[in-house]
Amino acid sequence: MVLFAFVLAAFVLLFYRLYKINEQNGDAYKRQVLSQQQATSKTLPYRRGDIVDRKGSRLAYSEKVYNLVIDSKQMHEDDDEHYELTLKALEDYFPELDIDSVREYSTKHPSSRYRVVLKKLDYNKKDEFEKIMDTSVSMNNADGETVSVKPSGVWFEEDYKRKYPYNSLGCDVVGFVLGNNTGFYGLEQYYNDTLNGINGREYGYMNDDAVMEDAIQEAQDGNTIVTTLDTNIQSIAEKHIKLFYEKYNNAYREGLAAKNVGVIIMNPNNGEIYAMAGYPVFDLNDPEKFDPLELAEYVGSSTSENSISANALMIEKAENGEEQPNPEANTDSGTVSGDTVSGNAENKMDPITKAKNQIWRNFCISDAFEPGSVMKPFTVAGAIDAGKITGEETYDCPGYLTVGGHAIHCHNRLGDGMLTVQQGLAKSCNVVLMNIAFAMGKEDWLRYNRTFNFGLKTNIDLYGEANAAELTFDESMGQTDLAVASFGQGFNVTMIQMAAGFSALINGGYYYRPHVVSRIENSKGAVVQEVESKPVKQVISESTSQKMRDMLRTVVMSDPSECTGWSARPAGYTEGGKTGTAETYPRGNGNYIVSFMGYIPADNPQVVCYVVIDRPNAQYQSESTRMATVLNKDIMTEVLPYLNIFPTEELTEDEAAELQEKQGEFFIGSDGVSTNSVSEDVADGTSASEDAIVINPTESTVSYDSAGNVVSENKISYDPETGYPLDPATGEVLDPNTLQPINGNSSFMSDVN
Amino acid sequence: MKKKSSLYMDYSMLIVVVLLLCFGLIMVYSASSYEASIKFNDSTYYLRSQLRATVLGIAVMILVSRLDYHIWKKLAVVAYLGAAFLIMLVITPLGMEINGARRWINVGVSLQPAEAAKLAVIVFCAAKICVIQKSLRKLKGIIIWMGPGIVLAGMIYVITKNMSSAIILLGITAIMIFVASPRYLPYVIVTLLVVGGVFGVIYVVSHGLVPESLSTFRIGRIKAWLNPEADASGKGYQTLQALYSIGSGGVLGKGLGQSTQKLGYVPEAQNDMIFSIICEELGLIGALAVIVMFTILIWRFLIVANTAPDLFGSLLVVGVMAHISLQVVLNIAVVTNTIPNTGVTLPFISFGGTSIVFLMTEIGIALNVSRAKPSQVQIY
Repeated sequence: MVLFAFVLAAFVLLFYRLYKINEQNGDAYKRQVLSQQQATSKTLPYRRGDIVDRKGSRLAYSEKVYNLVIDSKQMHEDDDEHYELTLKALEDYFPELDIDSVREYSTKHPSSRYRVVLKKLDYNKKDEFEKIMDTSVSMNNADGETVSVKPSGVWFEEDYKRKYPYNSLGCDVVGFVLGNNTGFYGLEQYYNDTLNGINGREYGYMNDDAVMEDAIQEAQDGNTIVTTLDTNIQSIAEKHIKLFYEKYNNAYREGLAAKNVGVIIMNPNNGEIYAMAGYPVFDLNDPEKFDPLELAEYVGSSTSENSISANALMIEKAENGEEQPNPEANTDSGTVSGDTVSGNAENKMDPITKAKNQIWRNFCISDAFEPGSVMKPFTVAGAIDAGKITGEETYDCPGYLTVGGHAIHCHNRLGDGMLTVQQGLAKSCNVVLMNIAFAMGKEDWLRYNRTFNFGLKTNIDLYGEANAAELTFDESMGQTDLAVASFGQGFNVTMIQMAAGFSALINGGYYYRPHVVSRIENSKGAVVQEVESKPVKQVISESTSQKMRDMLRTVVMSDPSECTGWSARPAGYTEGGKTGTAETYPRGNGNYIVSFMGYIPADNPQVVCYVVIDRPNAQYQSESTRMATVLNKDIMTEVLPYLNIFPTEELTEDEAAELQEKQGEFFIGSDGVSTNSVSEDVADGTSASEDAIVINPTESTVSYDSAGNVVSENKISYDPETGYPLDPATGEVLDPNTLQPINGNSSFMSDVN
Repeated sequence: MKKKSSLYMDYSMLIVVVLLLCFGLIMVYSASSYEASIKFNDSTYYLRSQLRATVLGIAVMILVSRLDYHIWKKLAVVAYLGAAFLIMLVITPLGMEINGARRWINVGVSLQPAEAAKLAVIVFCAAKICVIQKSLRKLKGIIIWMGPGIVLAGMIYVITKNMSSAIILLGITAIMIFVASPRYLPYVIVTLLVVGGVFGVIYVVSHGLVPESLSTFRIGRIKAWLNPEADASGKGYQTLQALYSIGSGGVLGKGLGQSTQKLGYVPEAQNDMIFSIICEELGLIGALAVIVMFTILIWRFLIVANTAPDLFGSLLVVGVMAHISLQVVLNIAVVTNTIPNTGVTLPFISFGGTSIVFLMTEIGIALNVSRAKPSQVQIY
């Protein structure tokens, strides 16, 4: 019994000792065990998650590739014949490999077991070379005997390479990956952590069946993000931007058709972005490769007036292997009005780097500009919603209003006489809007400005959204500020702010956060996170929104002489919207940003399309708003059938003919890749409908409008923005009374004395 | 008195032993497959060797359990001399050297005389104590009858440099005499002396008071025990790796077969250090299960010893109990670095053919004792 008691006591003590070892040193020993495994372990790379569009097409994915690794020790294990044979096989099969450096390395480090000499080889190359490795070669050894030898000491390790099957499609939105799975711009950067996984480890040994035995910590692959983007809609938008550039490059002066063009197509009823496009595009598979001419264009402009955000420096740092860019660091340098943001950051950059960053950045979210008349509906909506106007008022427009000692002009300097609120919008009358803003007062205008999220980020899930905090007015705004703000001058917005706010304006008043990702799935396809499309807030009442839809409908659907937006309407559809022509700083230089915000159908908005053209290449940029409306029309004509939104209106003969013509040209190929290719004659084919803008004087004499709504008596066509007649010879806008040319470069604001 | 059915034996003991053997086979395979596939290009090399020994051991056990244990009384002297002879054979050309230690003899199969010596000492002491029990009432008798054990242990230590087996032999002898002797005081004194000596040695070594000239293999091991990290790649390596295994196993372990330490990090993973692999793969739970199994086994020995028909049977079982208890305690103590590193195997589980066969012989004897009709024997 005594003996048994002793043994039992000993057991208890020993078990206590076991327990203490685990408790005190368990973690440390676990680490120790893992760390000493490293000699015989290798990293199993994770696979970065895919980026897919709403239909499941892969915009970005990671493909397994192979790195070529040399094992000096094994290379030298056999005789020199082996070594030379291996080197020769490498030299023959991989011409891109610097064989001398391999020789030098393997000679200097004979005990090295691991050195990557070539990266990202595809499976075929690996497979073929492995066959070579497996083939015996007969050769004479030092003793003159013939022996058969195989190359040795070379193996392949797995890795992943990011691929973008649509190349440049959606480049600004998708973003790209550099180095070790670090995303830059767009979704790749915003969702970098989501897309990345965790590397695994393999502590391997071969059992007698030559099978890797156990002790594998599998890599955890990254999550896939399912976006709201649509490859086809995106490619339609990009195709038309490209066509626009081809058509208007060097149109008036040497140079690009416009400094930039941005297009956002989104669903106003849930904030989902269908497409977001800008110019220029770049190949995501090779983001460093640019058309030298194109780059030169941006190098030239960026030194003088182009804006660069701090993101540019981030990229440069990241490329040089410095710190990971911090998205927050970028936020305080949103572009203002497309003009120079000064800062030490970009001064340090060379012009080439600046230009590259200019190309990589997403115009639609990163650049801020004065919205111009597209802002008018927001002012009207705020005034109605606040009860300051009913919408039934009429205002007298003499062509200008004197505020604080300045005469603030309408586009039509002669005035339109008595106008209702609705007509004020349709004709884009500044005086009506100024009066409405005064009726509203500063406080209410500011309140609704905030309500529509101006001055705040939309928090769209893309990298590089400009910080909007400093862009709009605050309580210090004066009467003149309020006057110009009513029609969208004097403060800045981003395209995405406008599109998101406008969606709320017309969808019944519900503000949705614009977003690009609808769902996050893990590598097995299980849903990790679903992005709910719930309205963030109600900005105006349903009835106000209804009134706005009724008014905005007339901007597009009225007789061409009564509205500015008629040329934006795709044949067969009802559309509402608003044109914009904003003068850039400094005033009076004749530089304008023209834009159009449209939604279809007019009574039940299903899709919103916002087109912004920054400084079009035209003699009179202020008269070029039609570039934006026509671009909108061309894009929507193709997008609407694709979204299963069907025409409700009867086509006129001209419309039918035009549509037929366009169908032959536009609807080429069903997938996004082939539609990116552009047929040469498209520009000519559509030119007849564009000539009314009279950009190209040589063609302006035959300025029929093929949309058919204008009967061009006396072969005179009308300016879409003002409804004024155009000089058939020069294309200048004429005063309807005097038929004398109006100076297209005149600013909306001038001093009156 | 009613005679027991001849079919009766201590089935609890039998079941525990069989379970331990099966568990041992699994763990030997798990712990040895990597080394076996590298050394012999056959991951089942150790497993098959162990399996052969186990089958042989079971056959021997069945045979011995049918053999009236009183026959061992007559064989006692022969067994003792035979064991001594086998030990002597190690220094003859029949001796074999494995891993730098000359502890085996080759008689068709390799055999470790130390394992035979343990059985011989149990049988010899049991037989002799029956005759001279009265003399154990005096201190002088106790010291004299420690003699045979000391002689054999000395031979093992001198000839095979196997200190752990020598200690176990001494331990078995001491325990058997202890249970047969009514005197406690000499044991208390001896125990105090040993403990004092051990602490003395620890003090001397840990304070670096050992002269360089006296720094031997043993001293080195004691130093490594006191601070295994100090010589992590040398003497402390095995101990430290065993501790890493235990610590990395946690409560539930990494799962059977998932040990990474067996991949060439823990030397003798299938042998002395198998308990560390058990801890790594099966965690504290697995270790506890093993300890509980041995506790049950030892408890059954106690029952059988207490109900044996005569003193001889009782002493035989006590000897077996002492043997297995000592090995289990010492093995786990070594693996957990509770005592300095010395090569003790874990009974029934560690790899080792000789050990299995002789252990099974001992189990056979114990089972046979359990079959005999019970009576009360005075043991202390």
